[in-house]
Amino acid sequence: LAGPPSPPGQDPQGWRAPVDCVRANELCAAESSCSSRYRTLRQCLAGRDRNTMLANKECQAALEVLQESPLYDCRCKRGMKKELQCLQIYWSIHLGLTEGEEFYEASPYEPVTSRLSDIFRLASIFSGMDPATNSKSNHCLDAAKACNLNDNCKRLRSGYISTCSREISATEHCSRRKCHKALRQFFDRVPSEYTYRLLFCSCKDQACAERRRQTIVPSCSYEDKDKPNCLDLRNVCRADHLCRSRLADFHANCQASFQSLTSCPGDNYQACLGSYAGLIGFDMTPNYVDASTTSITISPWCSCKGSGNLEEECEKFLRDFTENPCLRNAIQAFGNGTDVNLSP
Amino acid sequence: ASFGLYFPRKEYSENVYIDQPAGTPLLRIHALRDAHGEVAHFHLCQNLIISRARSHENHWFQIREKTGLLYLSKSLDREDFNVLSVGNWMPLSKVMLYVFLSSHPFQEKECDSATRTTVFLSLINATAPACSSLTARQLCFTEMDLSFHIKENKPPGTFHQLQLPSVHHLCQNLSISYKLLAAEGMPFRYNENTTGVSVTQRLDREERERYELIAKCTVREGFREMQVEVPFLVNVLDEDDSPPFLPNGTDTADAVVEFNRKEGTVLATLTVCDADTTPIYPLESSRKKYTGTIITDDPWINETFRVEHIFDEIHFSPNGSQVRGTQHEYKLVLNKSISVTEHRSFQLDVLVNDTEFHGPERSVVLHFNVSILPVSIQFPNTTYQFTVNRNAERFAQIGKICIENCMKFRGVNITYKLLSPNVSCYAVSILQGREDKYGSLYVNDSSVLRRLECKEIQYTIQATDKQSRKHTKTLLTIVLEGTLLKKEEDCPDSCAVSKHYAECEECGGLGVLTGRCQWRQGSGKGITTNYSTCTPSIKTCPDGTCDVVESKDPAVCPQDCTSGNIIGGHGKGIGNLGIKSGHGICYCFPRQNCYCEKDDIKEQLCDEVCKTVI
Repeated sequence: LAGPPSPPGQDPQGWRAPVDCVRANELCAAESSCSSRYRTLRQCLAGRDRNTMLANKECQAALEVLQESPLYDCRCKRGMKKELQCLQIYWSIHLGLTEGEEFYEASPYEPVTSRLSDIFRLASIFSGMDPATNSKSNHCLDAAKACNLNDNCKRLRSGYISTCSREISATEHCSRRKCHKALRQFFDRVPSEYTYRLLFCSCKDQACAERRRQTIVPSCSYEDKDKPNCLDLRNVCRADHLCRSRLADFHANCQASFQSLTSCPGDNYQACLGSYAGLIGFDMTPNYVDASTTSITISPWCSCKGSGNLEEECEKFLRDFTENPCLRNAIQAFGNGTDVNLSP
Repeated sequence: ASFGLYFPRKEYSENVYIDQPAGTPLLRIHALRDAHGEVAHFHLCQNLIISRARSHENHWFQIREKTGLLYLSKSLDREDFNVLSVGNWMPLSKVMLYVFLSSHPFQEKECDSATRTTVFLSLINATAPACSSLTARQLCFTEMDLSFHIKENKPPGTFHQLQLPSVHHLCQNLSISYKLLAAEGMPFRYNENTTGVSVTQRLDREERERYELIAKCTVREGFREMQVEVPFLVNVLDEDDSPPFLPNGTDTADAVVEFNRKEGTVLATLTVCDADTTPIYPLESSRKKYTGTIITDDPWINETFRVEHIFDEIHFSPNGSQVRGTQHEYKLVLNKSISVTEHRSFQLDVLVNDTEFHGPERSVVLHFNVSILPVSIQFPNTTYQFTVNRNAERFAQIGKICIENCMKFRGVNITYKLLSPNVSCYAVSILQGREDKYGSLYVNDSSVLRRLECKEIQYTIQATDKQSRKHTKTLLTIVLEGTLLKKEEDCPDSCAVSKHYAECEECGGLGVLTGRCQWRQGSGKGITTNYSTCTPSIKTCPDGTCDVVESKDPAVCPQDCTSGNIIGGHGKGIGNLGIKSGHGICYCFPRQNCYCEKDDIKEQLCDEVCKTVI
């Protein structure tokens, strides 16, 4: 299937729409040569790195055959049916091929093509109760009210809030695992016009910013007794297929770029906000570090203390959250209701 | 251990355009030495990596083995470009290749040397731009930060060339010159002829671990002159070249075992410092590098104690510039609970070893003066006497029984038992309190209290230590007093059912001490821990804990023990048990729901969502 690449202009973004990995796996399973090579390759990759694998003739042959199969370029969709299965298939091939020590990994998710303006259009339902002209209005409170008026949003929000604030015992503040699961359900199943308004509302006073910081119930989902080293946290995240994919997606969509006006890849704010929200409920859960109204600082719960000789790498990793102009611009643009105007 | 040659950067990047001629230089890679006399040999991996998972044989790029200059060996035409773009699903095509390094000429050209750096080549779908269309920033520097790492204690050498070989080749009519702005005395030199930057002396991380310089570039084109400045950073990499030392010279600590004898108790802590950094990632390997072992032949000591090692980054400033070091803490911890009869004193030595330091002072010995004192299981001299009202109900809490220092004990399990009384008036029982520290005396059979022949009951209490079977006894006297009240009719079993002051205090219920429930008047402000409620005894209910007596029957104190629904504004207690805080008056139907509401005004009930609104 790796024929000649599509001629430019066929797709506005310049890429082919890839087959999802679950489907690609089915296509491969239906074909005996593909399925046997896939089995061989998975055995090759198990516990070995790329170089050892390439040294083996049988593995190399399997790799060459698979390069022509749909499995090679397959991707997954966020929130799709069998998302985890799709990601497992994706990483079963890519884990051994990428070096594992790579700083940025390619995202297994399909590119996001919708834009923020789509969300604004949907969100205009609430415009009646959300007087943007009123400078005293608390956008984060409005977002909570809007969510409470929607049965689905209200149900899943109460769900995660009660799970995350349930005290287990004097020593165990809450069940972090259950809280994370409930948060993932909320962000997966509630449309983004509700969830983004809660996460990225703009604030003029501290009470509003504190409410924004409290959105994900950080005392349970975010804070912990100790702050781990960020590289250690990244390793923990990479051991989990879902977390690893969401992190790679965040890097793909929020990595600051000098080549665009907004600092975001492809000037796509929506994609960056989506992959930020996609990290919530995993080990790499990000949040606002304080209730400041003037500056927005985002960070996962980690620090670069104790990095040894890897301090530079650790700080680079952390800066993609704390000092990322793409992420900051995207959050501010959403809060202010200003998406970039792009020529069609 | 010798590291060998190494790259001062992890990544390099450059742009490649369509139809650039063969021979075009792309970028220059440098290597630094570990020892004098080493000669660097560069070599390319034969595969180009496209879009992470795909690779393609490299026909286009080569590197000069001796100088590290990467160049185009074959022009990249549009067809090649299409081949290399397959699978790249981002608009910008990038290929990646690895450059390897060796001190010997390469024999087998394979991608398997450990020392390598990554080159990212961005394939631009256009022919090379005219020099006049490039900005000064593009002419002077690549997009990648100028950030380098140099290992401490290694010979000096050149580690970067400021001039971009591709731009120099393309724009020969432009004058591009560089300068390195550095404070006096920095160990770096810029060579104007080669535009090379070198480190001029061995660096010491423990003296300074970061140098911030500025690279300045001037572009002259006719009369026009443009300047660009970018940061130029050098990080010094650490190696284990400092021995452990004791802060303030303290190498001894006292470790006393008395009331706290539980497994896991930290008895004493001693600190060892080191000027080297110790990465907490990966944690296990760092633990192995810095060991702490108990020196002993005594198997009992080995079984009973363990040493726990934690470490943390600290900062110190040797010459005004802040550098990182490590503080190691060695904690002497009980590995098992110690019997109350144990009585020993000895010195326990711990050998701390910095295994990667190569020098004579690689270890220090820490001394712990351990004293294990026995504790006696005995009651305070006095005998116990409690007075119980004849109207007390079942589960009324009379008092606590406690051996000497019982609340200080940890890891000691005491069982309290009542031995048969002198007469047939078995009115009270005893239950073990939390963590087996004390015993709670409560009314077990209230009908006995009403019997007139029972006036003063004497019991013997026995306290036994579970582990050593040591026990002690004392006398307990229960005096019955008060006159019997007439029982109100239509009163519920449980005080918690009453919603108002009047109905509360005219009824009794399970757990009451004097025959009547007690009303607690709350502050009435919002959702508070001080809510109004009806209870058998304000002292024990609600106090936020469901104690052993209360948990015997859900009707005694549902305010502390309910696991059912609570309707109205409230906060739940620990472990989801009881009402920690409530709005207005809280009342409960045992085994059913509890309700918290304001009595006077009918307000809308506040649910989970409303509660989190600030």
